[in-house]
Amino acid sequence: MTGPPISTLCRKVVCVDPDDDSPPTDAAAALRLIQDQRSATARRLDPDARLLYWPWGVAWLVGFGLFFLRFAPGDRALVPLPSWLPLTVLFVLLAAAGTVQAVVSVRAYGQVSGDSARRGQWYGYAWALGSVSVYAGLGRISEHLPHDLAALLWSATAVGLTGALHMAGGAVWLDQDLFRLGLWISVINLVGAFAGPGWHPLVVAVAGGGGILVAGALARRRQRQRQQP
Amino acid sequence: MTELDPVIHAQARLRVVASLSALNVGDKIAFPRLQELLAMTAGNLSVHLRKLEDAGYVEISKTHRGRTPATLVGLSRRGRLAFEEYTEAIRALLDPAPSKEQP
Repeated sequence: MTGPPISTLCRKVVCVDPDDDSPPTDAAAALRLIQDQRSATARRLDPDARLLYWPWGVAWLVGFGLFFLRFAPGDRALVPLPSWLPLTVLFVLLAAAGTVQAVVSVRAYGQVSGDSARRGQWYGYAWALGSVSVYAGLGRISEHLPHDLAALLWSATAVGLTGALHMAGGAVWLDQDLFRLGLWISVINLVGAFAGPGWHPLVVAVAGGGGILVAGALARRRQRQRQQP
Repeated sequence: MTELDPVIHAQARLRVVASLSALNVGDKIAFPRLQELLAMTAGNLSVHLRKLEDAGYVEISKTHRGRTPATLVGLSRRGRLAFEEYTEAIRALLDPAPSKEQP
């Protein structure tokens, strides 16, 4: 997987194409070469934003959507689904979104190290440790709550943490799309929490999941503009 | 006319430097990945990297990923500056408008 040690390259000088040591034919050719090379590299090292956003949007839309349909306000089931189904679907889709994100990121950034890699790593730690520490406390409390309030506590906390970490990510990378998405998620979480048990998953599914899908489309558009030669 | 930097003013090395300039400041890329991005042979890329390293434009470091040795390549601060100046000079050649306004 690694290149030859630089110290052995003297033996390979014979393979060098003598022509590519020549200067570009003119200034226009040089500028075109610079622009093409930079945009080609950026395209390869910057994964398609849709792959990073959309799987999460689908997970929220479908997962929280099913939760609303099964546990609607007033302890009604709008659709007679088995009670284990909504959460199972939500967790499976979240795990799938996490897997897609991991694979896409490793393929794009896997061979780049330095400051960016360190930022990504620390940001990942914030997600992992932040989730564990928050949920450990929730687990202790929610067992003493009725089902609907426990569900609200869990989802409002999880969505709130997600919103805050998205905003933090936007600050780390100066990424407007990520920051605005975090802002949006935080606001709709507030709306959902005030709307109360039963309504929160509907708000999160439609406005949250939909918001992530829109943010992904906007991030993709900005990415294409950036990558134009 | 501004003298163009002879180290960068060669097609292959210009491609190498342009590619590396697309990395964020402070980042380095593994040699095989750079080779793949540029579609150059390992020997060819090594020769050009050596010239760029001699000029102080790229920094090459060797580390280990697990037990396999890895060669990492990045643009130095000086290399980034040289590339920016080269690009400026090229743009000035193509669009000498600002100098026309001068008396």
